[in-house]
Amino acid sequence: MSDVTVAAIHSALNGLALRQRVIADNIANINTPGYHAKKVGFESALASAVSGGTGAAGADVQTSLEPTRLDGNNVNLDQETLSNVDTGLRYQLMLRAMDNEFGLVRDSLRTA
Amino acid sequence: MTAPIGAVAALASQAVTPTAAVAPPGGLNAAAPAAPTGGAGFANALGGALDNLQAVQSKADTLAVQAATGTLKDVHDYTIAATEASLATQLTVAVRNKAVEAFTEIMRMPA
Amino acid sequence: MPLFGAIGVAGTGVTVYRKWLDAISDNISNINTARPTSAAAFQARYVVAQAVTSPDGTGGVQVGGIAFGSAAGRLVYDPQHPLADAQGYVRMPDIDLGNEMTQMIMAQRGYQANLAVVDRAKDAYQAAIQLGRN
Repeated sequence: MSDVTVAAIHSALNGLALRQRVIADNIANINTPGYHAKKVGFESALASAVSGGTGAAGADVQTSLEPTRLDGNNVNLDQETLSNVDTGLRYQLMLRAMDNEFGLVRDSLRTA
Repeated sequence: MTAPIGAVAALASQAVTPTAAVAPPGGLNAAAPAAPTGGAGFANALGGALDNLQAVQSKADTLAVQAATGTLKDVHDYTIAATEASLATQLTVAVRNKAVEAFTEIMRMPA
Repeated sequence: MPLFGAIGVAGTGVTVYRKWLDAISDNISNINTARPTSAAAFQARYVVAQAVTSPDGTGGVQVGGIAFGSAAGRLVYDPQHPLADAQGYVRMPDIDLGNEMTQMIMAQRGYQANLAVVDRAKDAYQAAIQLGRN
């Protein structure tokens, strides 16, 4: 249990929640001509924040450079669906991690 | 004061420190030599347990940060470490609470 | 290996099978594409699956390349066809519809199987996340 860990988990939850919203946006625009998929990255920024002694890091949204279909759209439904599953699981794991961090405090406060 | 009671009292006074469960083990070890010889064994055991607790907690913390930054290899590595940390904390707290209980029990004894 | 490796591996399978389905769909839609005898016939596309090598042996699969069907096709006598040559022949692709349908079932089942793996892997990982919580 440390402040950096709690902050890092919080940053990860923020990043994953944003990624989930961006995936929803991408899938919603699966047939929008000229739409380019967006990708959320926060892992490398968070890793360097943690090694710098803080757990706070923001997420960045980038436009996918994948080749487009004939309508100028480059959303890959397979990839978005799998990424959705992956992000959901990682969100659950980070929630569990946050729960554990608070659980340790709760346990050490217990007197009977 | 007989030796066994002195030992318990010395231990209890260490354990009653509010931050005993999370205090750096060095503090406890430094206090141990002052205790009567009968209590040193238990104090050392308690110090060792706190050392171990801190190691287990920091392992779980490291894996939690790895999970956050996406470098964790296996989910169960973290969940097992977290469960170990939780159980070790609960055990330590239970021992602390028993020691406090023993101390108050002794303090209630008629002189 | 990323955190949820099994999902990633199944994902490579999903991608390969989707490309295979795309190729089959292309083949079937071009089954009657006639060409003049002076040109090559429409060539069927066959997706070649290839294992991805990775240190721990679980890299998944990728499209290793596309194999093409016969360029000679088969000559069909159809003198009414605008592309027919002086002898009345056009060049049709050498695609067997029965074979394509069989392959389509295989590709569809493979796609479904990989998605089933994703589902099961998700359950397994969820169990791992819940590990230790009575």
